[in-house]
Amino acid sequence: MIELDAVTKKYGSLVAVDNVSFSVGAGECFALLGPNGAGKTTIVKLLLDFTRPTAGHLSLNGLSTTNAKSRAFVGYLPENHRIPTHLSGWQYLKRCAALLDIKGADADKQCQWAVTLTGMQGREHDKSGTYSKGMIQRFGLGAALIGRPKLLILDEPAAGLDPIGIRDIRRLLESLKKDGMTVFLNSHLLSEVEKICDNAAVIRRGRLMVRDKISSLVRDGDTLEDVFIRFVKEG
Amino acid sequence: MRVPENWASVIRLASFTIADEARQKSFIAILIICALFILMVRGCYHGDYMMNGQVVDSAKIIIMVSKITFHIIAGGVLFLAALLSMRIFRRDRGDGTQSCILSKPVSRRQYVSGKILGLWVLLTAVMIVLHGIVFLITSVSANMVMPEFFSASIWCSLNVLFVVLTVLLLSMMMPDIAALLCVIGIGMIGVAADGVFAVRHSPIGQAMMQHDAPSDFSVWQIIYTVWPKLFGVQSFAASRIGAEGFGGPVFAVPILNVGIYCMIIGALLFWRFGKEDID
Repeated sequence: MIELDAVTKKYGSLVAVDNVSFSVGAGECFALLGPNGAGKTTIVKLLLDFTRPTAGHLSLNGLSTTNAKSRAFVGYLPENHRIPTHLSGWQYLKRCAALLDIKGADADKQCQWAVTLTGMQGREHDKSGTYSKGMIQRFGLGAALIGRPKLLILDEPAAGLDPIGIRDIRRLLESLKKDGMTVFLNSHLLSEVEKICDNAAVIRRGRLMVRDKISSLVRDGDTLEDVFIRFVKEG
Repeated sequence: MRVPENWASVIRLASFTIADEARQKSFIAILIICALFILMVRGCYHGDYMMNGQVVDSAKIIIMVSKITFHIIAGGVLFLAALLSMRIFRRDRGDGTQSCILSKPVSRRQYVSGKILGLWVLLTAVMIVLHGIVFLITSVSANMVMPEFFSASIWCSLNVLFVVLTVLLLSMMMPDIAALLCVIGIGMIGVAADGVFAVRHSPIGQAMMQHDAPSDFSVWQIIYTVWPKLFGVQSFAASRIGAEGFGGPVFAVPILNVGIYCMIIGALLFWRFGKEDID
């Protein structure tokens, strides 16, 4: 589903991603972990062709990420998701559906499904300027789910959410995982990652430190947090 | 008839752009002010005009006033085009629209094409509506039907395209206001070069130049030759209003000139946006 082959990204003299290679298979729930500035968001941006690699190759669904069609079955929730303030949540979802060529009754059905799934019933016709950060995040997740993508790329999905919101997202991701959706999760909430994901990779200063099953990484009563700190501090 | 997939995305993005721009209060306010201003021109079509004690033919006056109004509207729409285009990429980036669109199966080319098409169609429609008001005034008040206004309006849309492309390109490389000022500068220099050229080729100018050392390739001549001929396109369009017609291949030069500039700037815009990092 996702392939990174010797990917390097440099911004001037700064190496944001350094010769990283890994893959994520279909149906896998994968977490990319690392401290701030490790290069996690850069990898997400590379996957979506928001920026081009200095070296190496990336593919989604077997297509090079430079091909727009590679994003045909991808849902994406960015970190600090935003919705234009003049649009309501419903209008925003409808636009997302239109971009995927979903029209008419089908679009309405999908948008209603996304609204229900994210628990935003009753607020979907309000202007987004009246939404809290958590509500915008929920609509963002709903928008990412429009078109029922095969791959969901989430960059800090719990940012701005209260504990109930975080729990709701976890439950939602668990149900999507059961339905066979591939999830690529970029998060600092390690306790949540441990509950949802099967596999994880840790990167530090742009370099891949480890990529393994979470059950293999966490041993002898450790938590994922202990493993993360060990890799990040000790290298 | 089914629209090809690539074009369907472009048309969809263009419709989003039109909806986003047209709903802005400032845009609606400018449109209303322009319409009211044009309605005030009505008064110019009535009354007798005298020149050297002779009554001037009212048909000539109507055509002249219509042409002046035509130029003012076309110039005003170009300014509006620059105003709308200068913030479009930055605003899309700021409110998350850009990342939302480009995370879907939409290429950067389609995104930029949608923005260009949306702005172009919206501003051309604005120009046609404003010119249409003048057409209605001349038809109703002066009983002089001049449908050439509409074809002239379409010709002027080439200038709109030029301004949209140039401002979009410059807004990626400099602050928005600097991009706006640059385009205004391009227009002003073009008008000045046309003016200098016209003066030099007028009988008075020819007579004055006989006393000076002849220099066929002055700076102004070079500027006149290579500079985007926005005013030339406008003059060509205006020449279609009334019974004048247009004067053959000489008038095709400004169209060709601005058309070539549009192609070059368009290519640069696509190339530059392809290199942009999306946030």
